[in-house]
Amino acid sequence: MNFINSLQSEWLKKRRSLAAWLVIVGGFFTPSIILMARIKNAHKFSAVYRSDDFWIKLWNQSWESMAAFLLPIGIILAVGLITQIEYKNNTWKQLHTTPQRFSTIFFAKFVVILIMLAQALVLFNVGIYLSAVIPAALFSNLPYPVASIPYRSFLITNIHFFVDSLPILALQYLISLQFKNFLVPIGAGFVIWFLGIGMLSWEYSYLFPYVHSTIDFLVSSGQFGNRKIPPINIQLLAVIYFVIITTVSYVLYVTKKEKG
Amino acid sequence: MHSIETINLTHRFSANEAALSSVNLQVIEGTIYGFLGPNGAGKTTTLKLVLGLLKRQHGEILVFGKPFANDRVATLRKIGSLIESPSIYAHLTAVENLRVLQKVYQCPKERIAEVLDLVDLSQTRNKKAHQFSLGMKQRLSIAMALLHNPSLLILDEPTNGLDPNGILEIRELLQTLNRLHGITILISSHLLFEIEKFVTHIGIINKGKILFQGTLPDLISKRQQNSFVVFETSNDVKAAQIIDQFNPSSRTEAGRIRVPFLDNESIAAINQRLVQNDIDVYQISKIENDLERIFFDVIAE
Repeated sequence: MNFINSLQSEWLKKRRSLAAWLVIVGGFFTPSIILMARIKNAHKFSAVYRSDDFWIKLWNQSWESMAAFLLPIGIILAVGLITQIEYKNNTWKQLHTTPQRFSTIFFAKFVVILIMLAQALVLFNVGIYLSAVIPAALFSNLPYPVASIPYRSFLITNIHFFVDSLPILALQYLISLQFKNFLVPIGAGFVIWFLGIGMLSWEYSYLFPYVHSTIDFLVSSGQFGNRKIPPINIQLLAVIYFVIITTVSYVLYVTKKEKG
Repeated sequence: MHSIETINLTHRFSANEAALSSVNLQVIEGTIYGFLGPNGAGKTTTLKLVLGLLKRQHGEILVFGKPFANDRVATLRKIGSLIESPSIYAHLTAVENLRVLQKVYQCPKERIAEVLDLVDLSQTRNKKAHQFSLGMKQRLSIAMALLHNPSLLILDEPTNGLDPNGILEIRELLQTLNRLHGITILISSHLLFEIEKFVTHIGIINKGKILFQGTLPDLISKRQQNSFVVFETSNDVKAAQIIDQFNPSSRTEAGRIRVPFLDNESIAAINQRLVQNDIDVYQISKIENDLERIFFDVIAE
């Protein structure tokens, strides 16, 4: 019960914050671009809306930028912004004098970030659906897509991308808790992500957690080319990284000499 | 019983210098304890240690008679605090800021309206905190500290940046909380005049050491000990001999005889004796050190 209360308290804090807006913008960004392109070129999409693989193509088109770019960067920014709520308002000391265990504070905030990630993915899925049906509703030459939505496969892909993102989230949380300056976690996150993208052609690039979602997308959409498929399950590797990084992050947080 | 007691509390931020040296703070239950010291004296460090915001290095911290570290969560449930500048979420309204804490403390929702009323912020309950003046932010911080009906309030310089009217409001509020609700208050300040009018006990800290600790009357008596009476007469040599019979510590300087603190009866008796010995008394003046002077004297010792 205590943890639920702490979680509700943390959830309240992000109300009207930049992090909360980022989830909405991040979730709808790519679908909005696709929607605008389809509205602008509606006359070209008649055949597409009648094809059997309509949803698969739209899905891959939407995930392309999300998996490689928006998801990692969105997480880097969102985690930094959530911890900045405490730094910016000088409230760590207030938070640490409330009757909560340090573990409760650590995990309540962490769970809020995890829920925000899930929220962004839900909004992204809703956005993908809307980017398909809004043009159909607006233009008479575009029918409601005849292909059926492969719910199960989409759900599994969502779960995969969620799990792929966990190490990024954990490492960004670790850095954000240790450094007051917002630029440190953001800068570190960008540098690690850039390095990962740069090493994508390397056969061991899968060891780099910030590109798990990119590799996952490339493999699942058949765009991995001649590169060697990772010999290990990416999600399993992501979970291992997540557990290790979260443990280190928690120990560093609890043993911090000054809390506010 | 002591609400707070520290035993030989010592803390170092670097190996070279001790921020606190054997601090023995004793805050008696039901009192208003003024914790005084110039900036950098060690007040905030002491309060942060008491609240567990800094890791204890040496010494003991007892809160409500029990070691703080043994039951941190249960102890914090009975403490309200405001450390340094206000800790409020600027993007949230006053009510939302209190809701954040109400969830954690699991206290009735009705308390939010009660504490807002208490600090006179009911009219601005739905205004975002970033639109608040500093005084309003301080008052909201105090409302947050009071939300869960604490029995101990720890306030670190709560009047910083407030105008005289704001200081007066906070003072009256704290007095009411102490008298009507029996809340023990530990309030720090670097300005004696801000707190001397309402505290019952005072602790003076400088360079990490407690230099004085006691009741306000104790400090006032220290003031009396540092006061003196000056006599200006027509014959200083003869007058000094007479005065010496009353107080041998008198001193003649620049044509005036300076005598350590005397009560009114003694002053009258000396005057009478001087006149009886044909000495004209031109002026008798009582020089009293104010509390601020005592504070600086204690710090300078």
